[in-house]
Amino acid sequence: MTLRRALHTVLTLFAAACCVSCMDFGPAPEEKFDFAGRGVFIVNEGNFNYGNASLSYYDPDTKKIENGIFARSNGIPLGDVAQSMTIYDGRGYIVVNNSGVIFVIDLATFRIIGTIDGLTSPRYICFYDEHRAYVTDLYDTRITKFDPATLKITGHIETGYDSTERIVAYDRFLLVACWSYNDKIIVIDTDDDTVCDTISVGIQPSSLVLDRNGKIWVLTDGGYEGSPYGYTAPALYRIDAATRRLEKEFTFALGDSATDLQIDANGETLYFIRNDVWRMSVDADRLPDEPFIRSDGAVYYGLGIDPVTSEIYLSDAVDYMQAGTIARYSPTGELLDRFRAGITPNSFAFK
Amino acid sequence: MRSLLLISALSALSLPLLAQQRDEKPAWSLDIDKVEVVTDRHIKDIGVQKVVMDTVTLHDNIALSLADILTQNSTVFIKSYGRATLSTASFRGTSASHTQVLWNGMKLNSPMLGMTDFSMIPAYFIDNASLYFGASSAGIAGGGLGGAVSLSTRPTDERGFGLQFIQGIGWFTTFDEYLRFTYADEHWQVSTRAVYSDSRNDFKYTNYRKKTNMVFDEYGRVVSFDYPVERNKCGDFHDLHLLQEIYYNSGTGHRVGLAAWYVNSRRGIPMLNVDYRNGADYRNRQNEQTFRGILSWDMIRGSLKVGAKAGYIHTSLGYDYSRATGGGVWSQMTRSRSYVNTVYAAANAEYYIGRKWLFTADVTLHQNFVESRDRNIIRQDGNRAVIGYDKARIELSGYVSAKWMPAERFGISVSLRDDFYGTEFTPIIPAAFIDWVISKRGNVVMKASVSRNYRYPTLNDLYFLPGGNAALRPERGFTYDGGISFRAGGERFSTGGEVTAYDSYIKDWICWLPTAKGFWSPVNIKEVHSYGIEAKADISWRFARDWRLRLDGNYAWTPSINRGDPTNWADESIGKQLVYIPRHSAAVTGRLDWRSWSLTYKWCWYGERYTTSSNETATRFDRLGPYFMSDLSLEKRFAFRRASLSFKGVVNNLFNEEYESVLSRPMPRLNCEFFIEICPKFKSGHRNDR
Repeated sequence: MTLRRALHTVLTLFAAACCVSCMDFGPAPEEKFDFAGRGVFIVNEGNFNYGNASLSYYDPDTKKIENGIFARSNGIPLGDVAQSMTIYDGRGYIVVNNSGVIFVIDLATFRIIGTIDGLTSPRYICFYDEHRAYVTDLYDTRITKFDPATLKITGHIETGYDSTERIVAYDRFLLVACWSYNDKIIVIDTDDDTVCDTISVGIQPSSLVLDRNGKIWVLTDGGYEGSPYGYTAPALYRIDAATRRLEKEFTFALGDSATDLQIDANGETLYFIRNDVWRMSVDADRLPDEPFIRSDGAVYYGLGIDPVTSEIYLSDAVDYMQAGTIARYSPTGELLDRFRAGITPNSFAFK
Repeated sequence: MRSLLLISALSALSLPLLAQQRDEKPAWSLDIDKVEVVTDRHIKDIGVQKVVMDTVTLHDNIALSLADILTQNSTVFIKSYGRATLSTASFRGTSASHTQVLWNGMKLNSPMLGMTDFSMIPAYFIDNASLYFGASSAGIAGGGLGGAVSLSTRPTDERGFGLQFIQGIGWFTTFDEYLRFTYADEHWQVSTRAVYSDSRNDFKYTNYRKKTNMVFDEYGRVVSFDYPVERNKCGDFHDLHLLQEIYYNSGTGHRVGLAAWYVNSRRGIPMLNVDYRNGADYRNRQNEQTFRGILSWDMIRGSLKVGAKAGYIHTSLGYDYSRATGGGVWSQMTRSRSYVNTVYAAANAEYYIGRKWLFTADVTLHQNFVESRDRNIIRQDGNRAVIGYDKARIELSGYVSAKWMPAERFGISVSLRDDFYGTEFTPIIPAAFIDWVISKRGNVVMKASVSRNYRYPTLNDLYFLPGGNAALRPERGFTYDGGISFRAGGERFSTGGEVTAYDSYIKDWICWLPTAKGFWSPVNIKEVHSYGIEAKADISWRFARDWRLRLDGNYAWTPSINRGDPTNWADESIGKQLVYIPRHSAAVTGRLDWRSWSLTYKWCWYGERYTTSSNETATRFDRLGPYFMSDLSLEKRFAFRRASLSFKGVVNNLFNEEYESVLSRPMPRLNCEFFIEICPKFKSGHRNDR
């Protein structure tokens, strides 16, 4: 009888466990936000193939951070590998690379206003005017053009190159860095949306900015050791946007890692990450000798300059598998705040 | 009941092949004094923490891969993306590459990746699976910092011709077919097996990760939306496996065998549920062709047993990730091709001195030739070039052990292993084991073991472009464990159980991390402390005539903690559970037999799993909630004069759960598969795995 009772108990517990076992899955709740005024969006790219990209929002006045605002506001995750965010005409455009989508959100409520899909591996957007925006793509030979008013794709520009990365507008032209296994800056004439010129720089131009003097600054990463495309020292180039002539070249040491070229609000000071954060005047004739902000063990991954205050926002990816941290510095390099964002914060968008 | 069973040293020493022979006078045996040991304690397995899965477990149904079997029947954690997608095994909170997998003695771990995809191993192709935990893995291979899985096939156990055919038809246009032909006589044993699995695998699911048909009001607010009902995109699979075995037994102590396994797999890799690209314009596929062949020879002379093996593996693996951009043009995101050729050789010897000593030695060689090609690029000079590497590496492993049973109840064993890879030696891998029969009455046995271990980097770790790091050091492990087991009962009621506690440390754990240049690179960074408890129990009870109830359960408590140095002040991963390793897991299988009917219920549970190294739980997208799964099957067998038949229906995900087992990977809700099995009876008998 004892045995029977024991067995009965086991079976009863087992049956109960089966009946109550229900997984926690389904619709996620939605929160209401209303953040009018100035603020900084932080794009957290997440981990490739995890689908855990997220968006954070920071209020520099109150120093309050809200993480996961896209998911909390909309009840769905942002997607897989958020690459960049651009603010245009009161809307936020978030490019989610490996989801092949661009989300358009309201800047105060963070709610989705629209989506643009039909993209291969989108990276960055350049808004040219109210009806023309251009999207670069890591694995498409074409640049996609859409109308910001309707959010409809209006065409493609065949570049002749395997991939395109950062993009800036100058006059009626777009200058686009071809990063992956390439050394070209292509020039697109927006009158007829064709590639009208190319400029050769060093191996793998990863970022570019336009300064107050009409000069394009390009940062190359130099490739990697063993690359069949070549391996050189990273370098910083200055190109005259009007003549498209290479004017200056500043070379780093072989093996250095130089990334994320940014420029301040006045277009007169360049910033980039080379383990530490470095800055130099657009009129400088040589690279700086000392870093502007030392890393002190941080793994700097993203850099943003507030276009109004020229404050510096720096992201630390830590181990790339946990929420990264953001440090906010004054233009003079004074630490103003430090807080956590999402996984692998890579860029900033200033409202 | 007598707690002592008299078994011969033959059964302690002989290969599974021979153990299955039913001749009264075995044609191939070891002629030494009989050794009396308790229950199934073999001198060879002194102190070894080992779980053996037999054909009853492995051949439950043909739709199951070895990953499914391990999930349900062991404390090994399987990370699976769904049927016919990558499934890797983690012992005791370690990573997939810390699990060594051998098939008839030959390594199945990819020399490029270090891991084994268990979804590529049909459970019906394996006749015996032994799981070695922690230190015990050192006895069969080096580098098993978590453990090792030894898989083997064996010849038919019935004389004459045998034929078995199983057809399965399931939801999502799934077809599973299995055919086995066997023949055996006094000297020859031949077996031919084929498995073909084909499915669209396009199950429907409600995608709570997307919203569609959003309607906005005049203020731009969403007033209505739908969660789209989508199909699993690009999840189709078409897997063919062929296995040919031929064995010759001389009857004079020699045996020669040949086993050849061919795999042709064409699989889609399902899209994430956060992917907004159109499945029709999207190609994400993995095609694999693999051949594995082993020629073996064994001989027994007196107290000596020696064996030698020679083998070859060829794997051709292609992965394509592309998107149609219109006009028949496809944008290639990834187009990788890898070709692996491995030559294998092994020799082993076992020597008994009296009844108390056993000495073993073996040496194995794997010579790998790997060609890995990724993207095709245009160089600056206009010529085309391929990114990849072409490397060869020799991997040698030598092992010696001495096992001693000074008393009937007590055994002790020590072993040494050393691995050589490329031009480097790992440090010596020592291991020690003891076991002690505390009580003969309940067959209560205590076991303990301790070992150091090393795993050297894979070829991708060292040479992959971009990112390979030739300066990597081997990972270093130290582990010890102790456990107690019992077994009691008789034909009417029997029960058994085992509890093991373990503690292990891995230093210089290799992790791939992103670099500032946009690619990932491996570094020796992490230190992990893994400890916990594994428990298992089973009951078999014939509570009435023609009725039998079997319950088999396991539970694991698996803290696997990052004890490395923090990356910087902000690092919150120290002291936290590793990503995707559940702290708690359990599974129970209940089977009720009545005459020729069998009802089987499977229940499996994992606790919450984290997807961040800091174990954040702020939103539901940061973690995977507890996982519960229930499957049910009903089988009816018929025995006719000329054939036996079996009908089986399986309901997977009985409670129709909506869930993800891995972030952003949808899984199917309730689904069914029906199987019919036919075994013609030939004049000289028929085989039956049951």
